[in-house]
Amino acid sequence: MLAYPVAIGTVAGIYALLTLGLNLQYGFTGLLNFGHVAFFAIGAYVSALFALAGYPAALGLAVGTVVAFCLAYPLGLLCLRLRADYLAIVTLSFSEIVRLVIVSEDWATQGTRGLAGIPRPFSGLGSGTAEVAYLLLVLGMVAVAALLTWRLAHSPFGRLIQAVRDEEDAVRSLGKDPAQVKVKVLMLGSGLAGLAGGLYAHYVTFISPEQFLPIITFYVWIAMIMGGSGTILGPLLGSGLLLLFLEGSRFLRDVAPFVSEVQMASVRLAVVGLALVLFMLYRPQGLVAARNRA
Amino acid sequence: MLALAPYLNLAISGAVQGLVIALAALAISLCFAIARFPNAAIGDMMTFGAYVGVGGQALAAGSIVGGGIAAVLATTLVSVLTYLLVFRRLASKPLVASLIASLGIAFLMRSMLTFILGFDQQTLRVPVSRAMNFSGVRILPIDLWLGGLALLVLAATFLLLFATPLGRRMRAVAADMQLAQASGIRSGRVMIALWAVVGALSAAGGIMVGIKTVVTPDLGWDLLLPAFAAAVLGGLGSPVGAVVAGIGLGIVQELASPWVGFTYKIALGFVALIVVLLVRPEGLFGRPELVR
Repeated sequence: MLAYPVAIGTVAGIYALLTLGLNLQYGFTGLLNFGHVAFFAIGAYVSALFALAGYPAALGLAVGTVVAFCLAYPLGLLCLRLRADYLAIVTLSFSEIVRLVIVSEDWATQGTRGLAGIPRPFSGLGSGTAEVAYLLLVLGMVAVAALLTWRLAHSPFGRLIQAVRDEEDAVRSLGKDPAQVKVKVLMLGSGLAGLAGGLYAHYVTFISPEQFLPIITFYVWIAMIMGGSGTILGPLLGSGLLLLFLEGSRFLRDVAPFVSEVQMASVRLAVVGLALVLFMLYRPQGLVAARNRA
Repeated sequence: MLALAPYLNLAISGAVQGLVIALAALAISLCFAIARFPNAAIGDMMTFGAYVGVGGQALAAGSIVGGGIAAVLATTLVSVLTYLLVFRRLASKPLVASLIASLGIAFLMRSMLTFILGFDQQTLRVPVSRAMNFSGVRILPIDLWLGGLALLVLAATFLLLFATPLGRRMRAVAADMQLAQASGIRSGRVMIALWAVVGALSAAGGIMVGIKTVVTPDLGWDLLLPAFAAAVLGGLGSPVGAVVAGIGLGIVQELASPWVGFTYKIALGFVALIVVLLVRPEGLFGRPELVR
């Protein structure tokens, strides 16, 4: 009976890492990243390939995080020159390119067949305990990420990124370079997404390109917007709510048996869509409103 | 001549695809010029148009013209409704709000279609005809029809924009909303007209894709990124640029496919987009950014 909440908690934790990363980029710095799933995928594949080559999971997770962190650099250079809305389109395109590369380069990634048999850490502890241990690992990472975000937000760098979000010209007039700031933030957020990807790969033990569609990016967006962007508590709350909804809709079928499983997928997407529209219209600041924002 | 034929065939098929991209890119570009945000719902508006076309064709005793008219009317209505219900109320908020809401609308429309109709492929039936063969260069009559139709729609849109009083008002609102309002232009009406045009263009694009291939729930979403790429390549807000870039993108994608393969063909549009943005951020036909 415990297994189910543990599973939901683990996935919610992975989403929380993704959301914290995006929140750093959009919530604190105002960067419209619509390609978050790209770094999630990069982290997942790098970490899975390391694990399948026989290296310890911790090494794979670290390398996946670092690779995602570094690959955000060229994308960051690009966004120095782009306005907010162009950046959204370019990052969305980037995430599709990454997916196409994963599909095409099957000598490394097995293409659409996916990578199977990724080892799950702690399996030596026996079933039941291993899952709980993994949940604790994920939640520990979330706690560290949340703490670091909090520290960052209240540091001079944190004030600088929020100034870039609110009034870029003013930042420039004070002799700070917004471009440098944006690149750093993009890399940090992508590193978090990479870490989330590695944890995800080791948790589900099978990954394929279909798990990294743009819809994941938008799930993360809705989690951040529901919770409240530019806060710490908001993304955590939002990813919890998102998972409750995604999972809860499974039980909805007990109440409404006339809806088929395929139709449930449509209902889920419809609710995500409707939620995006309604939040934008009636509560753009999310459930947890940032105090220092107009 | 003989060695050229395969490439000419690819170029022709690319041009037809390019015209579809051009229709979508024009809708995106117009929307951006006047409503000032990249509208992600346009892809799913195309899907909606294609599905209404399928339904309309069934109702109109198999007439593709009947289906097309139904599609244009219904999509125009939906497009105007999205403006009245959502985008009008977000106009004073930051661009991000409209962009995210447009994504929401895209998901909502697609999921309603798949909830009711499922994920099965539908087809828009057109008479099958043999390709005309000019010493190896094959031209399908349907491609000619589709190309002609797309050119007609594009011509009508440009006539509306550049040769009618309504078009002049639209361009005035695009150039400076407040100045236009101060000169007595009722911007509300102009916006409704704009969203109607965006809807009609999307429906035409959706119907064309539906005729050329099959109607699936992802039809429009899959076209959205190439269309965005074309709109940005042409310079967001520049109607001529969007059309030229759309057609160009279609042809280049097809011509490149023998070398880069099917999967990377799709990536090519994105790569072109990124390169152009680096070299010329305002797009091929756009003017350098003005501070507003």
